[in-house]
Formats: sequence, structure tokens, C-alpha cells
Amino acid sequence: MDAAHAHDHAHGHDDHAHHPSGLMRWITTTNHKDIGTLYLIFACTMFFVGGVLALGIRAELFQPGLQFWRPDFFNELTTMHGLIMVFGAIMPAFVGFANWQIPMMIGAPDMAFARMNNWSFWLLPPAATLLVASFFVPGGAPAAGWTIYAPLSTQMGPGMDLGIFALHIMGASSIMGSINIITTILNMRAPGMTMMKMPLFVWTWLITAYLLIAVMPVLAGAVTMVLTDRHFGTNFFNAAGGGDPVMFQHIFWFFGHPEVYIMILPAFGIISQVIPAFARKPLFGYSSMVYATASIAILSFIVWAHHMFTVGMPAAGQLFFMYATMLIAVPTGVKVFNWIATMWKGSMTFETPMLFACGFIFVFSMGGFTGLILAITPVDIQLQDTYYVVAHFHYVLVAGSLFAIFAGTYFWIPKWTGHMYDETLGKWHFWLSMIFFNVTFFPMHFLGLAGMPRRIPDYALQFADFNMVASIGAFGFGLSQLLFVIGVYKCIKGGEKAAQKPWEGADTLEWTLPSPPPYHSFETPPTVK
Amino acid sequence: MEMQSANLKTALILATIALAFFIGVIVRHWLW
Repeated sequence: MDAAHAHDHAHGHDDHAHHPSGLMRWITTTNHKDIGTLYLIFACTMFFVGGVLALGIRAELFQPGLQFWRPDFFNELTTMHGLIMVFGAIMPAFVGFANWQIPMMIGAPDMAFARMNNWSFWLLPPAATLLVASFFVPGGAPAAGWTIYAPLSTQMGPGMDLGIFALHIMGASSIMGSINIITTILNMRAPGMTMMKMPLFVWTWLITAYLLIAVMPVLAGAVTMVLTDRHFGTNFFNAAGGGDPVMFQHIFWFFGHPEVYIMILPAFGIISQVIPAFARKPLFGYSSMVYATASIAILSFIVWAHHMFTVGMPAAGQLFFMYATMLIAVPTGVKVFNWIATMWKGSMTFETPMLFACGFIFVFSMGGFTGLILAITPVDIQLQDTYYVVAHFHYVLVAGSLFAIFAGTYFWIPKWTGHMYDETLGKWHFWLSMIFFNVTFFPMHFLGLAGMPRRIPDYALQFADFNMVASIGAFGFGLSQLLFVIGVYKCIKGGEKAAQKPWEGADTLEWTLPSPPPYHSFETPPTVK
Repeated sequence: MEMQSANLKTALILATIALAFFIGVIVRHWLW
């Protein structure tokens, strides 16, 4: 009796007494679940900020001619939409998933460096504030595109400085987050959980974190050089001073291409958890999935110049980067094959996470195929900077990364909140997103093939119809996302009680914890057989 | 304690790699 009482007391003490409540709980928290929640709320907020900018772009492009914005402000919209979605929405969302899930999936009590984890998150709001504040300084926000190519970026007003500082801070946050994730995964796995027994989501994040460690400092170096070119008299990228603006592109894309995989590998991880759960079968080809992920990550370092075919390079360089890029289709194809093979003869049900996962495979594959088309040098030279490219990367980043984020949210939110989400609302969210996504972005392939350039606020009359369709789709897509917010809010506030394991086929360690899990999960490490 | 020192070692190695990339890319383009 005494022992039981002591145990209860310890549990209660642990759950409630160690951390402050109210606002201070969130500011001072070192708990991986709290920090995961903060990341996810931050990402969701930035997703809507970036989404409003996207609607500003689509409103302007609804008809030919200038409707709402000055051309330079239009450039600010496209640039900030890209920067905010990449650095403020997609990346923090996946870090939020990593924070919530990785310790629970490997049977650890928390992240390795809990205080640094707090610091990693709390760097983001000031960075986002700097970035958004750049709209209000003389000369406006950065308008050189999210790639901030020199010499445009070395010549713009103080908004670019704010953008550069924001990137520095977000980069520091990402690097600290990655160090934390790698250390946690390498050192804090439960006894018996060998590397090849780790859930795929953990594997994909481990590889992603290595990518981040390797390339975020390169971006930081590039923007530091832009900064010193702007203010301290250096000439890294100034041709008149002996520098080379093309070098900026090389450095940027050495970061930028792995960055693409940083935004998609965790998505692969989420899909690899969701599909086996709803197909009620183990993942087909687990080890090939791990090797495919690693192959994609390694290849991502040797393909950067496919973004620069029109800049000019020797034919041998063009051939190398073309074939290296095409090679990525092989491990990616292995993954798509394995997901489909997992579903094959499975006892499938189509709850919202599975719908988003199936939608992901279908639409992401289309984005992959257009990527393969763009890898072909002579084709790319024609399609460079057209709407075909815009269509391609939105198929990969919206139907890829974002749909996976939705799949993961619906999959794990019963665990996080202890309540089931509204399935009807979730299904409406999926179908409306899927339909409006395609209404928005599919016509952009035709626009690009017909030669409509990207990042231009006006266009020739022959592009009017498809642009009108795309704009209607964009507003529909934007409005559909309100269903997601309503669904998540309802789920946090209440709803049907979630079981410990609401998904029959789910088999990773987080489902052995109650829903919601205790404040400190796995104080005693579970043993994995 | 053992775990903490292992964590610290891993973090230091990773941080050194990140710092080397950051400084390396600038120095490389400064000198050549």
C-alpha cells in the first residue's frame, strides 16, 4: 500500500510540480512534447502567413495586367512566400514531429539536450519577426526570390539585411535541432533497439539531420558573404571587384538541393509509418527503404548544378549533373514501390491519415516525374524559370511535404491530445485539398510548357484562362485549410477519447504509452525484442 | 553521467563539422 502510494505520489509530482503553468510553461519548457507542440503551432501560423502571401500572388495573376500590386511588391510576395514556407512552415513542422515522436518511438525519456531544444525553438519567433518585419523597412522585403541570388541580393535595401539575419538565426536553430536529434537517436535508444529496428520515421530524420548539419552552415556562409559584400567592402560575388556572382549560385544550390530532400525525407518517414498501420501489414522492404533514404541523401550532394543549366557549363558538366539527377529516381522509385507493395493484399481502411498518404504517393509521384523531365538538360533549358518549374516543385512540396504533414498530424493527434479527430471533417479536408491542389497547380504545367515565365506579375493574354483556373484553385485550397485548423482545435478541446492504440496496425513504441502520454515518457526504458 | 558525456562527445563532433563547413566555405572563397 505504501509502495503504491509512493509510486502514485512520485508520478503526480513528476507530472505537475516540476514545470510552471501558463505562459511560463511554454517559454521555459524543456519537455520534448511541449517543444514539439510549439514547433507545430509556429509552423501552422507561418503556413497561414505564407499562404496569405500566396493568395496575394494568385490574386494578382487572376487576370492579365496589373491589378493590385506594384511589380516590385509582387517580387517581394514571391520571395517571402518561398522563404516563409521553406524555413518557417515546412522545416519547423517536421522538427515538431521529430520532437514529439522520436523520443517516444525510440523509448527515450526526452531529447538529449533538453535546454538546447528550448533554445532551438525560441530562436524561431524572433527570426520570423525579423523576416516579416522586412516588409516595413525602406525598400521593402527581400525581392530577389527565395534563392537570393547575387548580385540582386547584394544591392537591395535593408530588408535584405533583415532577411539575412533571419536566415542566420533559423540556420543556427536548425543546426542545434539536428545535433539534438542525431545525439538522441544515436545514444538514447531503448535496450534492444538496434539501428535496423528503428522505425522508418526515426531513420529518415537521422539522415535528414546529417544533411542539415552539412548544408545549413554552407547557406550561413553564403549569406554571410552576401552580408560582407553589402557592408564590409568584400567582393565575393561582385564581378567588378574580381568576385563571381555565379559562385553564389553554386554555393546556394550546394545547400539548396539537399534542402529539397531535407523537406521530403521526413515526409517519406511519416508515410512509411502511416501506410503499414492502415494496410495492417509490416512495411515491405524495410532495409531497402533505409538504404534508399541514405542513397537519396548522398546523391543530393552531387546534383546541385541541375538548377543552373542555363547559367552555362561544359557539356561534360551538363551530362554529369543530368545523369546524377536522373539516378535519384532509382531510390525514390524503390520507396514508391515499397509503399505500394506494403498496401498489396493488405486489409486496408481509408481513414484520413491513409487518404493523405495515398494522395501523397499519387501526386508526389507526378512531381517526381516532372522533376525527371526537368533533369534533362535540353528540356530544362527550355523550361527554366517557367511555370512548369513552379508546378513541379509545388507538386513535390505541397502534395509531398505538406500532405505528409497532414497525414502525420491526423495519424498522431489522437496520441498527442488523447482525443480522436473528427473523421468527417478530416475527409472533407483531404478531398477539398486534393481537388483544389490539382486545380491550382496542374494548369501551371501547361502555362510553363507554353512559355509563361515565373516571378512576373503580368502575362500575355493567351495565358489568361489557365491562370484564372489556378487562382480559383488557390483560394479554394487556402479556404480548405481552415477545416484543418477547425479539426485540430476541436481535437485539442475534446472529442471521443482516444485509445492507447487507436490504429489497429500501428506497432511502434509510442502506441504502448497511454493517450495522451505522460509528461515524461519512458522513464524506465522499454526493452525491444 | 556516462550517457551525458557520450551525448556531449557526439554533439561536439557534430558542432565541429558544422563550424568547419561554415568557416570552410568562406575561407575557401576568400583565399581562392
